Amino acid sequence: MTTLQIAVIGVLGLIGIGLYGLLIARNLIKVIVALQVLVKGALLALVAAGLASGKLNLGQSLAVMVIVVDTVVAVIGLALALQVKRRMGTLDIKDLSTLKK
Amino acid sequence: MSTEQFALDNVLLWLIGLPLVAAPLVYFAGRLFNLGRWAALGVIGLTWIPFVIAAQQVGTGSISLVVEGMTLRMDGISLVLAAIALSLGTLVVVYSNRYVAHEENEDKYYPMLVALIGVITGLGCATDLFNLWVWFEAMAISSYLLVAFYRDQPASLEAGLKYLVQSAVGSVLVLLGMALVLALTGTMNLAEIRAVAGQPATPGLPLLAAGALFVIGFGVKAALVPMHTWLPDAHSQAPSGISAMLSGVVIEAGLIALLRAVASLAGVTLSWGVLLMGFGALNMLAGNLLALRQKHVKRMLAFSSLSHMGYMLLGLGIAVYVGQSAAAAGSFFHLINHGLMKGLAFLAAGALLYVLFIKTGDHHSPLTISDLGGAARKYPIVALTLSIAALGLGGLPPFAGFMSKWQIFVAGFETQNIVIDLLVIFAALNSVLSLAYYAPIVNAVYRQEPSEAVTRGQALSWTMSLPLILLAVAIVILGLWPSLLAWLTGPAGTALVKAFGG
Repeated sequence: MTTLQIAVIGVLGLIGIGLYGLLIARNLIKVIVALQVLVKGALLALVAAGLASGKLNLGQSLAVMVIVVDTVVAVIGLALALQVKRRMGTLDIKDLSTLKK
Repeated sequence: MSTEQFALDNVLLWLIGLPLVAAPLVYFAGRLFNLGRWAALGVIGLTWIPFVIAAQQVGTGSISLVVEGMTLRMDGISLVLAAIALSLGTLVVVYSNRYVAHEENEDKYYPMLVALIGVITGLGCATDLFNLWVWFEAMAISSYLLVAFYRDQPASLEAGLKYLVQSAVGSVLVLLGMALVLALTGTMNLAEIRAVAGQPATPGLPLLAAGALFVIGFGVKAALVPMHTWLPDAHSQAPSGISAMLSGVVIEAGLIALLRAVASLAGVTLSWGVLLMGFGALNMLAGNLLALRQKHVKRMLAFSSLSHMGYMLLGLGIAVYVGQSAAAAGSFFHLINHGLMKGLAFLAAGALLYVLFIKTGDHHSPLTISDLGGAARKYPIVALTLSIAALGLGGLPPFAGFMSKWQIFVAGFETQNIVIDLLVIFAALNSVLSLAYYAPIVNAVYRQEPSEAVTRGQALSWTMSLPLILLAVAIVILGLWPSLLAWLTGPAGTALVKAFGG
């Protein structure tokens, strides 16, 4: 197998695990971890795309930028989860669906 | 790429940079001296100067700013986005002066709002796919915090988290689409992608998949049905000023990001126009049907944003499909009008929510239609402006909403295409259907006896009435003289058709 094929398998694996986690997780922290796994799949995809097109530095610089942005999103997600735990005493997302009507 | 383009006299640098650089300063002004609201007003007021100069320079062409090989270009479409972000933003800052006063997080509200305006202006100007994604994500980050502003309210946290998770998944899909495009074309520059994607040697199917990923990913933020489920929660739980910004500007910014990304793949396929028209029809119908059964005013307004997104998509789809700029110009006119009308509707509903509940310390109760009963006797200005907004959204003359829908419909009929004609008739019927939920607002406000909430209501401050009056006047004026904005919407329509190669 070439490096690219391995990378593509890695991307599909990470995306699959991330989506599966998002669908089954009931704990808010787990949801955010699943999101992170999903983003890591996208990161790998960008680097692999750089490799495939022969613009490895472009792909890698995009990936670094994605890491920065994604960290901010994760921080906000965890901050909101922290508030949920403080105000409602639970992290179960089933208790977080009062708005459905 | 001359160095002189990056000079301090480049107006685009000031237009985008000023709000972004000033946002932390606004935070310190609020934190240290409790002057956040005035600092924000000052910054946004100053941003109008580069905007006016930029609007003159852009004309029917474009201006650009090059920073380290990264190009930002402002054309007609970016100008429309900047115009609505800035005008609504200014009024929201004035309005929020009292609305968020004495809230726990007031010092963080204004910097986020100022940054949001700068980021949205930047998003319109991106010429690079990755750059577009970064602006898009920056817009999402500032809006997450604003949606979850009432952090001690479980409902508001729930809305914020839903919004965050759905947007984050959307942005991952966009990243995957970008990876596909990068792998196949070897570039991130939208113009270069467009050139490569049109060549017969480029494999079409993977690029089509990338386009689908863009439509779904950006579509989450643009609230395309069925990726809209975050919207009613986020729009109804956010502070009302932010509801106005979200509904009037942020989802439209998502739409423009979607158009930019998809336009670069215009060479790959048949017609993105058909797809846009399809989503348009779906959005109109779903938005109207879901709005019909809402009792909470802000939730209902949120759902009606879906149907208005549908009218815009229909016009844009027609323009892309037949390569005719009049429909796109009508859509951009509707984008502006929707920003003004939905902004006004949310601000007026929020004003009532504030004087009836929030001011008495009740952050919990939603504003229902029955709470509006008889509001006209005690709050005549709010009642009148809310009615103007509701009737304008429903598409009644002489308000702005009628004119822009009319332009889209006329442009649609001019294509002489039977399917487009049917779609336009469908849109017109939807517009009539939407009156079924706008009219009860007017009825409740004017014809019912004062509700219990209204009789207990507090006084309204002038800083909240002023933005309402200005928006209502703008809606009536644009409804009577729609050509006033032709300088703005015409070039935008032409730019869109050019981007799709019509």
